[in-house]
Amino acid sequence: MMNTVKNGTRPIQKNQVRRINWLRWIVGISTGLFLLYRIILMVIRPTYGPVYWLGFLNTGLIVGGMYSLIAIGYTLVYGVMSLINFAHGDIMMLGCFAGFFTFEFLNYLPSGDSSFLNNHPILSILFAFIMGTGVSMLSGYFLEKLAYRPLRNSKIRLAPLISAVGASIFLETSAQILFGATKKTYKNPDLLARGSGWNIQMDGGMIVITKTGVFSLLMAIILMIALYLFVQKTKLGKSIRAVSQDKMTAQLMGINLDRVTSQTFLISGFLAGASGVMWGIHNGLFNHYVGFLPGIKAFTAAVLGGIGNIPGAMVGGMVLGIVESVGPAFLGIDFQLKDVIAFAILILVLILKPSGLFGKSSGSVEKV
Amino acid sequence: MKKSIFFVLCVLLLTSVLTVGAADMSRCDADGGCAVIEPGNTIKIGMAGPITGEYAMYGADISDAMKISIDELAPLDGFEWELLAEDTLGSAEAAVSVANKWITDESLVAVAGNVLTGESAAVIPIFEGASIPMLSPSATGANLTEDNAVFNRVVFQDAAQGKFAAEFIVNQLGLTKVAVLHDGLDYGKGIADVVRDTLISLGVEPVAYEALTPGEADYTAVLTAIASKSPEIIYYGGYTAELSVVANQLSQVGMAGVPVFSDDGAFGSEFIEKAGANAEGCYGTSSIPADSPEKIAFDQKYEEVLGRVAGSKSSFAWFAYDVIKALSTVISETAFLGDDGNLYVPRAEMVNNVRNLSGFQGITGEITCNEVGECNASGPTFYIVTDGAWVVAN
Repeated sequence: MMNTVKNGTRPIQKNQVRRINWLRWIVGISTGLFLLYRIILMVIRPTYGPVYWLGFLNTGLIVGGMYSLIAIGYTLVYGVMSLINFAHGDIMMLGCFAGFFTFEFLNYLPSGDSSFLNNHPILSILFAFIMGTGVSMLSGYFLEKLAYRPLRNSKIRLAPLISAVGASIFLETSAQILFGATKKTYKNPDLLARGSGWNIQMDGGMIVITKTGVFSLLMAIILMIALYLFVQKTKLGKSIRAVSQDKMTAQLMGINLDRVTSQTFLISGFLAGASGVMWGIHNGLFNHYVGFLPGIKAFTAAVLGGIGNIPGAMVGGMVLGIVESVGPAFLGIDFQLKDVIAFAILILVLILKPSGLFGKSSGSVEKV
Repeated sequence: MKKSIFFVLCVLLLTSVLTVGAADMSRCDADGGCAVIEPGNTIKIGMAGPITGEYAMYGADISDAMKISIDELAPLDGFEWELLAEDTLGSAEAAVSVANKWITDESLVAVAGNVLTGESAAVIPIFEGASIPMLSPSATGANLTEDNAVFNRVVFQDAAQGKFAAEFIVNQLGLTKVAVLHDGLDYGKGIADVVRDTLISLGVEPVAYEALTPGEADYTAVLTAIASKSPEIIYYGGYTAELSVVANQLSQVGMAGVPVFSDDGAFGSEFIEKAGANAEGCYGTSSIPADSPEKIAFDQKYEEVLGRVAGSKSSFAWFAYDVIKALSTVISETAFLGDDGNLYVPRAEMVNNVRNLSGFQGITGEITCNEVGECNASGPTFYIVTDGAWVVAN
């Protein structure tokens, strides 16, 4: 890269690069030393017993799994369209509502001596996921058709982004008007009752590994593996990767850009819908704003892992979830500052490796 | 100009000299003079607040309850009572113009307001200049009563409930392992800080003091940190939404059955709806007074007159009722009948007497003003969730 610059600006650029390298070294070393100091301190004077660390990790893994699923949606769309789909969190919200209404309906449906929900819990959960992912896929598909496609060749580069923010507000307010602003509670089947699970006792302390948590984490891992295989092995996956590498050449090779874009939105909608249903099953209370915070966090996770990179989004989500729950305890600071830690990690990663954890440093190679 | 002022002064002096007789008109010489109610006129108490608009539920409910209260009053020396209810829409500007209108009214004796904190702060200097006492049923913001002699209130300050709650936890419940949790916002953190400080002053060091981020759906991390200190009770300063999540997730961190004690921002049926069985045994704080014969009588009358249940529109109806009763008591004690048949209320004495009000028994408990005009002596009422409903905790 540097050799291609031939005019007088070269020395200045070189200078800047060198200074940033210095900054990286300083930041890297001081962060490393600080973490070492905290680890030593934690070993000498532990503030929490081992069982509680397990509790923090448990919380982090569960929320991290959901962040990962949503982050993949951001990263896929970014790879194909170079667009941050800010309405992605609200696609997840629609999935959450769809799952909620499915459970409500199945709970109302009589079957034998109790409701369908409790007589056929596995089938019910499957239905909820089908409905949740279906609604999210459809809304993602139409969102792209209505809000993004007309602006794809717009001269104003920010137009699709503004459209995304507008779509997000539109979806949130529509859900508020349709379903009301009060928080609703997911009616889980008894098999997956919230709060129930396996007690882990150690040194007088006790935490609960919840069934809903284990279920969510397993679902997230299964979906992530499935998605990875899908993108690597199938024809559609190959076309998505081709488009994200080079749109022009991909089109010349006979790939239909419109179709690949639509299909990408279907896939990202599927993952968002699944995480919406998982969110409802695990956390219970939700309303039309449920997608906002996870959306922002997952976007952060996608950037953390390297936007456009699928394994990066997976790892980024997990790292963000774990840092959020373990970080405050580890650093011995207030839990309200967990977002500060999460975003400090983001800044650190971007300073040390500007393209994200898994991103390639030179811009033009594979993004997905 | 000068001549006319001199003339007016002469007339005033002459009348005051002439009227010194049986009634001690010198009481009217102090700052602000006297409120004068001529025969046939009414003793007026002002009430200004948002009767329409965004905060209408407070102003409308308070003015309705005050009308019920003032209609019950017996005439004082043949003078009828009247409530002047003025709409401010909750804005300070409108409240200022209402106040400026009132201070020109000779027969306005006291102000039962204002309703909101902001508008109260705006009109305090005006009423202080005119020596008209205020007794608010609902302005809860901090520091309103300080640095002035006229403003008093029968509601407790937001944070003051923390003191009563901490004393309740230690003295009534006898618990010593208390964790304090809040949402970091002014209201919640303010109360939680008072709880923590009061606990320490009572010799109980809180086992944990943590904050959560409002608006989230998963607080198990911060609850795990609290669980590691195995508290007997958790005090939560904040609102219903987060309290419900906290109550629901206690069992996930091995704290099932540990009660949560919360403030009046989180009080209400919504918490029980959202937390269901997990709400059982949790404590709440409310300004809604415990049942007494007087309260039941008022509730019945309220429903008869207004066609709704007391407390359904705002939780200030009982305070509004008490404010009028307390003000009328002070006015009756301060007023005197002049020889000319007019009723005189010395304004400076009135200001003093409202601030020194003590031992007045209202339906919200004892009203005794301290030196800075905080008049709620009995504090809030504590409730506990039993069988899916809030009942008074003893």
